Amino acid sequence: MHIEDITILITDDSILARKQLKDIISSLGTPNFIEAKDGQDAIDKYKEFKPDLAFLDIVMPKKDGNDAIREIMQFDPDATIIIASSVGTQSQLKSALQAGARDFIQKPLDKEQVLGVIKHFLEGR
Amino acid sequence: MYTQFFGNYLLSNGYVTRDELFSAMQRQADQHLKLGTLAIHAGYMTASQVDDTVIHQTHQDRKFGELAVELGYLTDEQVSSLLKQQIPAFLSLGQVLLNDGVLTNSDFEQIIQDYRKKNGMDNEENLIEQQDIINTLFENFFSGSNTTLSHNGHMFVELLFNNLVRFIGSDFTPIEASEVTEAPIACCVEQDVHGEYAINAYISMDKKTAIKFASRYVHEEFQDYDEYVQASLEDFINLQNGLFIVNISNDSNTELTLGAPEQKTKSPLSFENRTLHFPILYTFGNIDFYIECVKIQ
Repeated sequence: MHIEDITILITDDSILARKQLKDIISSLGTPNFIEAKDGQDAIDKYKEFKPDLAFLDIVMPKKDGNDAIREIMQFDPDATIIIASSVGTQSQLKSALQAGARDFIQKPLDKEQVLGVIKHFLEGR
Repeated sequence: MYTQFFGNYLLSNGYVTRDELFSAMQRQADQHLKLGTLAIHAGYMTASQVDDTVIHQTHQDRKFGELAVELGYLTDEQVSSLLKQQIPAFLSLGQVLLNDGVLTNSDFEQIIQDYRKKNGMDNEENLIEQQDIINTLFENFFSGSNTTLSHNGHMFVELLFNNLVRFIGSDFTPIEASEVTEAPIACCVEQDVHGEYAINAYISMDKKTAIKFASRYVHEEFQDYDEYVQASLEDFINLQNGLFIVNISNDSNTELTLGAPEQKTKSPLSFENRTLHFPILYTFGNIDFYIECVKIQ
């Protein structure tokens, strides 16, 4: 599968963090990007657009990333969700994975790590 | 970290004013270091020997090194060693202040001796930033500020200075911390860290500084104070606090959580709890960090 064929949901309350993630991913090609700015927005956008891949921050207003993952997984148990967060403690990692996240990327974002996740996802499709 | 603390050392000991330091910091990157300055720093020459060599230089058009060797102050081996050595960045700051006439060679000799002695930098390994020296630099920085910090507070500030070097640049001087009850703000973001240990962390600066801060942080040239600039402040404090709670978790197995970063607009800010102010003097402007201690273990 090519990156142009997929839809990626990017969720972060920071417009800057969303831009940085989009810029990194765009170096591989141009997927269809959907943006959400908090956990509730992510759930709503996920249900509306059914993205192939979703990136979520953890610390967000209204509803945090882990709560959003749980709701998204209830809606779509096959959802591929990647956490991108500055809070990389073991317990945070554990709760994100327990909630259903497939992977965890520690901020500041490492370009190669992000691209590795995308390539791995595309190869599995 | 030596350079940042060296600026603070000069300021807190009254060798320079804040304006003199700020002006010197802005020019230190382009500074060409003189052999005499290097020789004083290496302990090869005294200030009076350097002054004497400079006086001889005014009478004859010859290189400083050649003359110093002829006068018996340096050996050829010492000259070539000085020319080859790695230059500590704080010497560039000293050189600007020497050129500006803010410091004399004698002042500089004494300052270097005192600074190195006080911070355990007596041997020649001083060019490598050893952790024990860094620790001493931090201890001396805090002991001069008349403010006490908990172990976690210490970790927070050390991480902050390292993050500033890593993400914004090393051209800053931390000014001594003080306790405050309120603070005037322009562009300000707050984020709370809560759990068994709880603080509110604030980053604050004026708009012009915020634009430059964001340009460095994002590696893009911003011209206006827009949403990306605002988000840069949020992102930086979020990154700082995120890494802080990872460190706390690794250090003491304490799990803390973060609130979402929040823009503050009402000036002045009033603090309900004991709050420490950490001013950072960058070459492009002043950044203020406030740590409000909500719950300290």
